[in-house]
Order: sequence, then C-alpha cells, then structure tokens
Amino acid sequence: MKNNRNKKKKLRALLILFIVLAIIIMIFLFGSRKEKIRHERGADRTDQVTGKKADLPMKQVTLFFLSDTDGLLHPEEREIPESDLSGEARAVVEELIKGPQTGLMRIIPENTRVRQLFVTADGLAYVDLSRQVTEANFYGSSGEMAVVYSIVDSLAYNFKAIKKVSLLIEGNERETLGGHVDLSNPFQPDYSLIAR
Amino acid sequence: MMPRYIKIFLTLILVASLGLASVPGSLQAKAPAGAKATPVIKVTVEDSPEVTRVKISGSSNLVYNLKKSSDWLIVTFRALAGLKLEKSPFTSQVVKSVDLAKSPEAYLLIIKAVSPDFSFSHSIRKSPFELTIDLKLKNRVAAKETKPVETPAKTPPPASGQVNPPPAVNQSVERAGQGLTSSQSEKKAFKTIVIDPGHGGIETGAKGNYGTLEKDITLEVAKKLKERIEGDLKYRVVITREADVVVGLERRAAVANNNKADLFISIHANGSKRAKARGSETYFLSLNATDEESRRLAYFENNSGELENRLGEQDFDDLKLILWDMAQSAYLKQSSQLADFVQNQLNQLLNTQNRGIKQAPFKVLTGVACPAILVEIAFITNPEEEKKLQSEEFQTQVAEAIYQGLSQYFQLYEKP
Ligand SMILES: [Zn+2]
Repeated sequence: MKNNRNKKKKLRALLILFIVLAIIIMIFLFGSRKEKIRHERGADRTDQVTGKKADLPMKQVTLFFLSDTDGLLHPEEREIPESDLSGEARAVVEELIKGPQTGLMRIIPENTRVRQLFVTADGLAYVDLSRQVTEANFYGSSGEMAVVYSIVDSLAYNFKAIKKVSLLIEGNERETLGGHVDLSNPFQPDYSLIAR
Repeated sequence: MMPRYIKIFLTLILVASLGLASVPGSLQAKAPAGAKATPVIKVTVEDSPEVTRVKISGSSNLVYNLKKSSDWLIVTFRALAGLKLEKSPFTSQVVKSVDLAKSPEAYLLIIKAVSPDFSFSHSIRKSPFELTIDLKLKNRVAAKETKPVETPAKTPPPASGQVNPPPAVNQSVERAGQGLTSSQSEKKAFKTIVIDPGHGGIETGAKGNYGTLEKDITLEVAKKLKERIEGDLKYRVVITREADVVVGLERRAAVANNNKADLFISIHANGSKRAKARGSETYFLSLNATDEESRRLAYFENNSGELENRLGEQDFDDLKLILWDMAQSAYLKQSSQLADFVQNQLNQLLNTQNRGIKQAPFKVLTGVACPAILVEIAFITNPEEEKKLQSEEFQTQVAEAIYQGLSQYFQLYEKP
C-alpha cells in the first residue's frame, strides 16, 4: 500500500515534469520556426541590397512612371524603409500610387490602396489592389498597359526574387482593368516599354 | 523500479513529440502569406491486370469534382490561386495522357483514355490528400457502336450538335450565304470574318473629354466595316454584338471559334492619361509565356484537330473555352502579317500618326483560333482625335482601310 502511494506520488511528479517539458518543447519548436522564417527573409533582403549594408534603415529603389513627352516609362529613384521582401515590394507599389516627384506622370488612379502583397516561394508576387484601380476614364489599351507595366516592371526590376506579378482586385482574380490587358495570367516584366 | 519510470517517462515524451509533430501544419497555416506555396499535385499512372490506377496526391486538401465525357475523365479543382502538376512518366494500356488546364474558375486535370469505352471508380483519403481513380476498359461487345470520329477539318460539325450561335450571327451567316449560293453545304467555301466591336453596355471603354464613349465609336465603325465587306459579296461576316450590350471577352472569342472564323478583327479606340497621345496602332497577341502556358500550348497543339471534332458537344461549352484558352498562340505569325497589312492601310487612308504594329497580352485575343488583331483607330482621350472619331466620314475611312488590309491578307496568304 505504502509502496503504491509512493508510486502514485512519483507518477504525479513525473506528469508535472512532463507538462513542463512539453511546454518547453513547444516554445522551442515554435521559436525556432519563427526564427527560420525570419532568417529566410533576411537572406532575401541582403540579396537585393546592392552595395549597402543590411542594417541600414533605408533602401534605394527605382520606380517607373509614364512620361508625358514620349509615352514611355521612365525611372525615378526613391528611398524606402528596409523591410522584408513583401514589405519592400508593397512600399514600391505604394510609392507608385503616390506618384512621381519629378516631371513624370501619376497614372495609377487616386485612392487606390494596396490591400495585400505577398510573394510565393517560386517568385510570383500577388499584388492585391482596391477597386479604385479599375476606375479611370483613360483605360484604353495604352492606358491599361502603362498602369500594369509600371507596377510589374518596377517590382521585377527592384527585386530579383520576383519573377512574375499577378494583379488581384479586391482579393479576386479579374479579367481586365477596363476590357483590354489580360489579368488572369501572371505578368513577366516587359522592359520594352521603358525609355532607353 | 527506476527503469520502469524512465520507460513511462520516455513513452510520455514520445507521445508528446508525436502530438507536436502535427503542430507545424497549423504553424504553416499561420505563417505570413509570403511563405505560402502553390499547391502541388503528384500524379502516377499504373496498369495492373484488372484496372489502371491513377493516383493523385496533393500537398494540401483539395476540393474536386469528377466528370467523364467521351474518352476524357476530367478532375476539376476549384478555389485555387494556383496549382502545379508533377507527373511521373508512365506507359499505360488505358491512359494516354494526363494534363493540367486552367479555366477562369478552376484547374482541370484531364485524363485522356485510349477509348471512350471505359468505366471508373474512385476513392479519396484526406490529410494527406490522395485521390485514387481506377479506370477499366469495357469489353468491346458491339463493333457496330464504333463510329467514324474523323471529319475533314474544314467541314462544319453536324447541325444537331452545333452550339447555338447568337441570333445576330445566324442572320449574318444566312444573308451572306444567300447572296452567293443557295447551297447550304457550300457555305464554308467563303471565308468567315468575325468583327468585334470593343466594349458595350455598362462596359463603356475609354471616355473622351467631350463625353464620347469608346463603345459607341467601335460599334459604328464595326457596322460600317460589316456593310463594306458584305457589299463585296466575297466573305461571310459575323459580328460579336450589334447593339449596346455587354458581351464577355471569352464569349467574343467563342463566337469566332464556333463560327470557324478565318479572321478576327477587334475594333477599339485608344485611351491614355496623356491627352496628347495620338495616332493609330494595330495589336496582335503577346504571350506571357510561362512554363505552364507552354505546356498547355503543347496540349492544344497535340489535340486541336480532335477539339474541332468535339465542338458540337453541348456539354463541352465550358471546357471548349478552356482548352481554346491559348488558341491564339498557334496563329501569331499570321496575326502579325494581318496586323501589318491593316496598319499600312490605316497609314495610307487616315492621315493619323503611325504608331505601328505592337504586341500586348489582350484578353479578347487569347482564345481566338484564327489570325486575330485588335485595331486602335485613334485616341478618344485626345480632343482633336475624339472629334475625328465622331465623324461619319472618318469612320467610313477606317472601315475602308481595315477592309483593304484584310483583303490584301487573304489575297496573299490564303490562296484557295
Ligand atoms: Zn477598348
């Protein structure tokens, strides 16, 4: 009997020990996983930073805006805060929406918001924009091409990890912005629309 | 005593770690979207003496649906942002090929059997997702059931199975036919031109400063072009819309394909944020050529003859559009030549700035299974050109230029 009670006590102690251990293991697994993700993203980031150290807070990017003079896309340099890949890509699109600081044209319709931006492991960037991006009077073929490729080219040009860009509207796949350019397949950059 | 406690202890640890092993899954689900990967399906095909087993294992659980039609077994996967196919090479007495196609709403895994006479059964296991399909050829009892499936490529499918074209299409067909011959069967002797007036209904297209809408200009020009072509009694004309109504972009391509069009001409007026943008240009399709698309293209090229034979099957309305998804890829060369002829005529007859021929990924062109172009007459967003576009005289000139361009194309490249 005594022996038995003793056994039970020891078992209880073991159970408590087990629960504590389980918690420790869980924290360990969870923590290391998070760190792994952070590490992968960190690698992405240092990849893109050319000639700059990763711990600097700002990063220079090249944005492509339409020029009123020749109807082609022209570059404009800009500084964005350093972040992970999707964070920086998001900043690039948000800067495009804000418009140029030099004499180029703002083409993405006002009040457009980036709802979400994420990049898959194989380099496909999903850019989810609010519906305002579809609301423009100038959406003929040329107008649509300019809006689509200022986004696609700016992303692919600045981030090696982004190979293709898919545009979503309000979280959904949509055929076109205004009846012309096909949004249902991902875009590869078309640098022929950029001035030389 | 102690060894026993250690044993219990170790067992508990083991159970605990097993329990935790399932945690990564939920962690992954919570991981930021940036780490999200496209689902992958792995397909293996294996013959056994009794059945041929197709095993589809997914990297995540998938919503699916199975449908047999003729010698195809189609597995539809819905609600996916993307799907990748990995298949192991196989040789089978029953399954000819396995391919992935994409429709606007779903991904379709197309399992092609050697004959339509097969039955199938399936079973499903979840987490991990594994769909097992067993195919079995039926015993061929009645030889009389085998019908010739081959029909000459240019013969229209039997009327019984033909998809009903829109009323407007029918009228045009008959009118053109009567002008030329009373024999219905000779219809195909005449080239069919499908004219596509851009936009319509609430989809207005670009807007001009004076309030002109692209959809109205495109319809006016298209009607004039139709009249011009029909006046010549050389070609059959089908128009994708005759009124101010919405017509889907895939529908427009389907009208061309269901009418076995020889040429497809989409008419638009351009728009730009630059008010000074001006001039005329002619587009043909560019491809965002990705691996997946080239695979689908290969599929289309290998099966296009067969697809044509199947056109009549009502049941296949959806699938038709899907497999014709990239149909235009096979006609890019002809399309660029057609664009060249039309652009030259626009330059000669319109006195607008020549913006040349260009390529773009335009939705309306992708599914068209014949040479196809999109004409941007002039910029509706340029006040000067907007006025031009409104003028009847200018519209007539545009129709004449396009007509001359396509006639030249036919004369040089489509000798009977
Ligand atoms: Zn248009």
